[in-house]
Amino acid sequence: MSSVNEKTEKPRYWRSLAELEGNPEFEKFVEHEFADPVSDVPPNSPERRRFMQLMGASLALAGATGCRWEEDKILPQTRRPDGLIPGEPRYFASSMDIGGYAVGLHVKSYDGRPVKVEGNPNHPDSRGACGVFHQAALLEMYDPDRSKGFATYAGGKRTESNLEAFLAAVKPLMAAARANQGRTFRVLSESSSSQSVADMKRRLLAALPEAKWYEYEPVSDDDARLGSELAFGAAYRPVYSLEKASVILSLDGDFLSGRQELRLAPGFAEGRSPEKGEMNRLYVIESTFSMTGGLADHRLPLRSELVKAVAAALDASISAKAAPGAEMGAAQPKPAAAFLEDPKVAKFLSVLEKDLLENRGKSVVLVGEQQPPEVHALAHRLNAVLGNVGKTVAYVPDFTADRPTHRDAIAALVKDMSAGSVDTLVIIGGNPVFNAPSDLGFEGALAKVKTAIRAGLYEDETAVKCAWHVPLAHWLESWGDTRSYEGVLTLQQPLIAPLYGGLSTIELVANLLEDSTKDGQDIVKRTLSRQIGDERLWRKAVHDGVLLGSGLSPVQPPVKPLPQFPLSDREKAGIAVANGQLELTISACPKIYDGRWANNGWLQELPDPVLKQTWGNAALVNPVTAKELGIEDQTLVTLTVNGATVKIPAIVAPGQARGSVRVTLGYGRTVCGVVGIGSRLDYGMPSSFADEMSDMELIGTDTYKLKSTKLEKFGGGLSVAPTGEGFKLALTQMTHAIKDKIGQEGLDERMGELVREATYEEFKEHPDFAKERVEHRPLLSLWQEPVSYDAHKWGLSVDLGKCTGCNACVIACVSENNIPVVGRPRVIQGREMQWIRVDVYFKGDPDDPQLVHQPMMCQQCEHAPCEQVCPVGATMHSREGLNDMVYNRCIGTRYCSNNCPYKVRRFNYFNFHEELKQERNQTKKMMFNPDVTVRFRGVMEKCTFCIQRIQNVKIKAKNARRPIQDGEIRTACQQTCSTGAIVFGDLNDPNSQVRRLQNGKRSYAMLEELNVRPRLQYLARVRNPHPELV
Amino acid sequence: MNRFVFPRWANKTVQLAGPVLTVVPVYLICLIWYGASPKTTDVGYQPHQPVPYSHALHAGELGIDCRYCHNTVEKAAMAAIPPTETCMNCHARVRTKSAKLEPIRASFKTGESMQWKKVHDLPDYVYFNHSAHVTRGVGCVTCHGRIDQMPEVFQFAPLSMGWCLDCHRNPYKNLRPPEEVTNMTWKHPEGVDPEAYGKELAAKRNLHPPTDCSTCHR
Amino acid sequence: MAAADYDSWYKAPKGDNDLARLTDTVLRVSEAPTPPVGWYVAFALAVSMLAMLGISIGWLFWTGIGVWGNMHPVVWAWDITNFVFWVGIGHAGTLISAILFLLRQPWRTAINRAAEAMTIFAVMCALIFPGIHIGRPWLPYWMLPIPNQMNMWPQFRSPLDWDVFAVSTYFTVSLLFWYVGLIPDIASLRDRATTTVRRFVYGIFAMGWRGSSRQWHRYERAYLILAALSTPLVLSVHSVVSFDFATSQLPGWHTTIFPPYFVAGAIFSGFAMVVTLLVPARQFFGLKNIIEMHHLEAMNKVILATGTMVGYAYAMEFFIAWYSGDQYEGFLFQNRAFGPYAWAYWAMISCNVIFPQLYWFKGIRTSLWAMMIINVLVNVGMWFERFVIIVTSLHRDFVPASWGYYTPTKWDFLTFTGSFGLFFTLFLLFCRYLPMVAVAEVKAQHAHSHAGH
Repeated sequence: MSSVNEKTEKPRYWRSLAELEGNPEFEKFVEHEFADPVSDVPPNSPERRRFMQLMGASLALAGATGCRWEEDKILPQTRRPDGLIPGEPRYFASSMDIGGYAVGLHVKSYDGRPVKVEGNPNHPDSRGACGVFHQAALLEMYDPDRSKGFATYAGGKRTESNLEAFLAAVKPLMAAARANQGRTFRVLSESSSSQSVADMKRRLLAALPEAKWYEYEPVSDDDARLGSELAFGAAYRPVYSLEKASVILSLDGDFLSGRQELRLAPGFAEGRSPEKGEMNRLYVIESTFSMTGGLADHRLPLRSELVKAVAAALDASISAKAAPGAEMGAAQPKPAAAFLEDPKVAKFLSVLEKDLLENRGKSVVLVGEQQPPEVHALAHRLNAVLGNVGKTVAYVPDFTADRPTHRDAIAALVKDMSAGSVDTLVIIGGNPVFNAPSDLGFEGALAKVKTAIRAGLYEDETAVKCAWHVPLAHWLESWGDTRSYEGVLTLQQPLIAPLYGGLSTIELVANLLEDSTKDGQDIVKRTLSRQIGDERLWRKAVHDGVLLGSGLSPVQPPVKPLPQFPLSDREKAGIAVANGQLELTISACPKIYDGRWANNGWLQELPDPVLKQTWGNAALVNPVTAKELGIEDQTLVTLTVNGATVKIPAIVAPGQARGSVRVTLGYGRTVCGVVGIGSRLDYGMPSSFADEMSDMELIGTDTYKLKSTKLEKFGGGLSVAPTGEGFKLALTQMTHAIKDKIGQEGLDERMGELVREATYEEFKEHPDFAKERVEHRPLLSLWQEPVSYDAHKWGLSVDLGKCTGCNACVIACVSENNIPVVGRPRVIQGREMQWIRVDVYFKGDPDDPQLVHQPMMCQQCEHAPCEQVCPVGATMHSREGLNDMVYNRCIGTRYCSNNCPYKVRRFNYFNFHEELKQERNQTKKMMFNPDVTVRFRGVMEKCTFCIQRIQNVKIKAKNARRPIQDGEIRTACQQTCSTGAIVFGDLNDPNSQVRRLQNGKRSYAMLEELNVRPRLQYLARVRNPHPELV
Repeated sequence: MNRFVFPRWANKTVQLAGPVLTVVPVYLICLIWYGASPKTTDVGYQPHQPVPYSHALHAGELGIDCRYCHNTVEKAAMAAIPPTETCMNCHARVRTKSAKLEPIRASFKTGESMQWKKVHDLPDYVYFNHSAHVTRGVGCVTCHGRIDQMPEVFQFAPLSMGWCLDCHRNPYKNLRPPEEVTNMTWKHPEGVDPEAYGKELAAKRNLHPPTDCSTCHR
Repeated sequence: MAAADYDSWYKAPKGDNDLARLTDTVLRVSEAPTPPVGWYVAFALAVSMLAMLGISIGWLFWTGIGVWGNMHPVVWAWDITNFVFWVGIGHAGTLISAILFLLRQPWRTAINRAAEAMTIFAVMCALIFPGIHIGRPWLPYWMLPIPNQMNMWPQFRSPLDWDVFAVSTYFTVSLLFWYVGLIPDIASLRDRATTTVRRFVYGIFAMGWRGSSRQWHRYERAYLILAALSTPLVLSVHSVVSFDFATSQLPGWHTTIFPPYFVAGAIFSGFAMVVTLLVPARQFFGLKNIIEMHHLEAMNKVILATGTMVGYAYAMEFFIAWYSGDQYEGFLFQNRAFGPYAWAYWAMISCNVIFPQLYWFKGIRTSLWAMMIINVLVNVGMWFERFVIIVTSLHRDFVPASWGYYTPTKWDFLTFTGSFGLFFTLFLLFCRYLPMVAVAEVKAQHAHSHAGH
């Protein structure tokens, strides 16, 4: 039973709606919902369709119904705030903190409802781009499964409660804690970069001197910090300027995704346009195919545990030649590792070493956060030896250095708890019961705590084990402050009153301490009073969202002499390892991170960047290893390591390192929203689909069972046993799984024509290789040109050399265009709805292939095959050359999709917004972008080049009687792309960027031989391999 | 032999058949043509508002400009219905005792919104933009009729797709100098052919009303 | 005529001369107080299948066409396969009645009535699918040019729209043709009717037929004109249907050979279906001596001929795919024959090309069992032909990243079998209540053949 329409909740709920002005249908559907839910009318009756339209279909603008006998109301505000124009979007600056690293954001808001999250152009890390997590946070905020109020749990039994009761209950606890100086008082929180949180922490520890406040993140980069401590004697954060680097070495790291992505991708991309002259060269040594590996010029698949020896070897040989100063101490001795003898590895390393030495001061070595401190230290040393420090690498002091590492923190806490010396434990955020190291037995220890108070966004595995649950407010609902990787201060402001109530972290602590100021904004102001003195500055800071110049200034700490790092036998082993001795690598999921977003449909349905898996995780096994172990693609296997065993589907993954098996975290949630546990509830499909659902009690497999203090990120001793059972994975693309000979041949034959590539050398010889790649007959047209395109001529350009496949564009598109989540069974059936498909192709030997990403959306053909065949004219050619898709005219013959050579059209096989009929999902309706029609069942849809954005800018420009500036219209995908791989603009504008690009040498139209004249053109990818490794 | 044959009068029906088969279909077509057209179903829709606000009085006699209340019309898609505040600008002093105005005062006091009834009502999948029309010189009166003579507002135009297209295809006689848009009584200058006049304006301001689907459907 | 047959025929029916006896043989079938038990069994079966159709269509309207297996990229699958399949079957009737009539083929008279009836029922089955396969099945009328307040017309460039007109025209003309042919026979049913109800109902439909020479004269004229009208339709309908595919640019669809190839295929499957139906019918209702073996044999010859044409078309597709040198076309045909859907392809080849070749042997041509089996197989094969054309072309087209594999759901099966329910229900009712043989025409033929001596 949703609390949205409970008496207690309603006023707050309405307050957020009260902002709506001249927005009848919004009011209307709220009435609709709360007065007469129409969930029981047949799907094809007019009321039903009307209802569907109302579900946000053009929420803000337009009238409601077109049915005269229905009466619509307009509820203007009684007082309209300055600057608010009803139905016009407004942007507010905010920021999001993930595991202690924040990025500045802009949030688009319609009449008081946040509808889209975008990057903050003024923020140094974002530059207007942002990642999948930031954008998907919107859905999280509206998620009806979020905890909706205070509750107590006794023996798993839940009882509703409220703030007053809670405060009354904690009063004695706090009193007791004060009495014993907080000796028995503990706090466990997520990592946070917030100074306000730090300040509240200080206040709490001041009040309770002997209390402890621990921070725990299951996915942690503490080892990087420890590494810098090894190398410099103090904690520093390396700041890379990849735009200055010509040779980049990534040691088992994926710097183009995860927390570093937004900062590093743009710099890297700068070195990837061959027209600009010298390209950078990327070497990647990694155990599993990452996005970075996908862009590598040279990639060496190696087990993670071997990377240490590689680093040592590089140090040995490079120091020998570079002869660093004595103050840096001795280099590592050349390690006697078997795998280094392998000719392929040896060759790779010798060339790499040469290249690095030739590019001293212009090279850089990066290390993945899962690597042990030694490797990080060696990387710092290498950068110093190569003279990169101060050029491609700088350092800023780590402002979180004072906290114990996450691994120590959680261990210490569990120790206290199991010792029974903890009376009150406050868990703020996080989900330790689910994600603490499995061998610590956190859950058992938690039972020994007298009173456990848990504050969280969801009532999850941890919540049900704690006496008290406190609803946390989402960052979009609360005041706060955060800091970026380099310490740039960003502010958070609430976009909407907390939908389900709830306190922010700082407010909660303030309440516990009975602090004089309990209001979020006041606390933040108080904390930042030093940096932001007066009200005017404060307003400006809130407006900008970012306090420029607040970043830490870079320093160049000297590298200390490093001890000799011993190598274990495993770290010296050969390429081949026997079953039982295999390596297991455990990493965060590129979609749901550590599991905290398991209930986020957008992220669950996002295809994995490399293997295109949605709704679940899998064990990735190298093809050769798989053959040895007798593992088939998409079958269940059991993984056993350190006594723990899980059953998980396997994917035979091209490019996975031999002898290394990789799993991602966060799946197999048991206490979670309906999405996360894969309940049918979420996409209210007809019950007859029960059979499809049979295999999905849980989404994915809980791999935390394998993650222990012994095996935190990777380690050996894994044995894999095939079970022989098949398992249907929800893959959106099968290209890696095309097994039959015909298919393989067909794929290989055409791949080079669809995705055109060349090496830098070839490019320099004949730059227009891409245009010449496909020979075809002269392209003659059957009839004269449909339109002259004299006004605007929209075009899009996608640079395959810069696309990392990070999926940010996909989520941006989903959010901008109200694209539904269809759920696992329908993805398996091949009915996913995302308008952008990031195609992935593997080239060459599956054991060690190359990878290319190709974003694929509607190409807006000038001779569009889809337009010819629609019997009702639901997709028509606009005079600006776009294929307008008219949802309300479409009757769904699907002929257009048949005739589309790119197969970029998506069809609503069901009413995929069915879920919104359910009372529990009402809040989701507020999330729709009012500028885009919400499509009903049976309608075809596709990318429109964000026509709504085009039209709005056109109207605004014409109102002001001025021309449209190049770059003024940006599609959602372009806007969020961190590498600038996507460029939209007017091809008639002589100096528009897109025109320059499409006239460029590398630009080619895919399948141009069909004479469909796509408006979307790709820039062919140019690799920059080292001549000696070609 | 006992067989069924059509009775004599059946022959009459044959003669009747001709006329009937021609007249009835024609009649039905006309009936549907007229009956189902928005001109019949939509034009003239006139709901009763919670407060009998008279445009005839305010816009007509008092001559308040449309943009005094609908002040977003030139900036935004929606010509916003004014907040209660706007009413109170005058009615804090004028007619402070009037019973008819009680709801307004109540709304202003409590902060509860007035519940006006929507008169001009387009389907959800249609994106109409007021600013795009007003700034181009399409008068309010063109689509809303003589609001200044309506004590109670009713729908003046069919607002059907065909009706929109007619103007988008040939807008010229509906164009006027932008400064005149709110003028209810504006006439083309004497002896000027509206068509030509509009063409001139259109040329001057470079107006080409689009008829792409995406102009209204997104 | 073999003596035994002749006796059995001679003994049974009443009447003082051949012609009268003939009339009696045919008409008493529908006058018999109760039909043979077999009819009841068949009818019960058919109706229950029809119910399945109703249920599955209802469910489809309720939830959406997602209940079928159609997916991305195979957005057309069984729905259109069934449509083309039924339209194809709906070809034999008019061909037999019209073209063979114009060509003065005496043997047609024995079978044309049943064939026409079958045609009409088949087209009815066909018409269901375009209607329900669209995403919003309550809006198919948007494909018709109806003036509206939106100033919107259908898009006449779309083959789907041509389809609507082609098939509906074909249906209307075939119906008229069939009905006109029925009038004299209905009249004689009316005349022999014993109950008032029968007398009245048949009376209405007989349209006051008295058999006057004037009426006969008009009748002949009308029949001739309709025959002339429907002849081109036989060729046009399936040509237009083939345009749905031929005018697209999808490898495997984009082929100029489609129109003739589709028409041949249609006649092929149509004739096969006629024989499949007539063989049991003539057994049940004792019409052996009217629908004689040499009629069936003639049919089988046509099947052999058209089957061979179809085989030629298959071969030619491959040849062109290779000869054109088009990489995607080439891949597609390899993929058809050896890809994931090879099983469907080879099912098609064996049913349509290999088995019908057995008809070269008279023994097989004239054996009831053999022809039953082979013709059923032909129908199966022709269904697979459409499946192969539609699904294998779609499942692997230009961009490998969007390749997929289609599998039907239980609702696909129910809808398809359901359509057979509709077909057989109607056909059985026809057998029961209307003359299965064009008595008047047979008599005419009879007269001709006796005129000799």
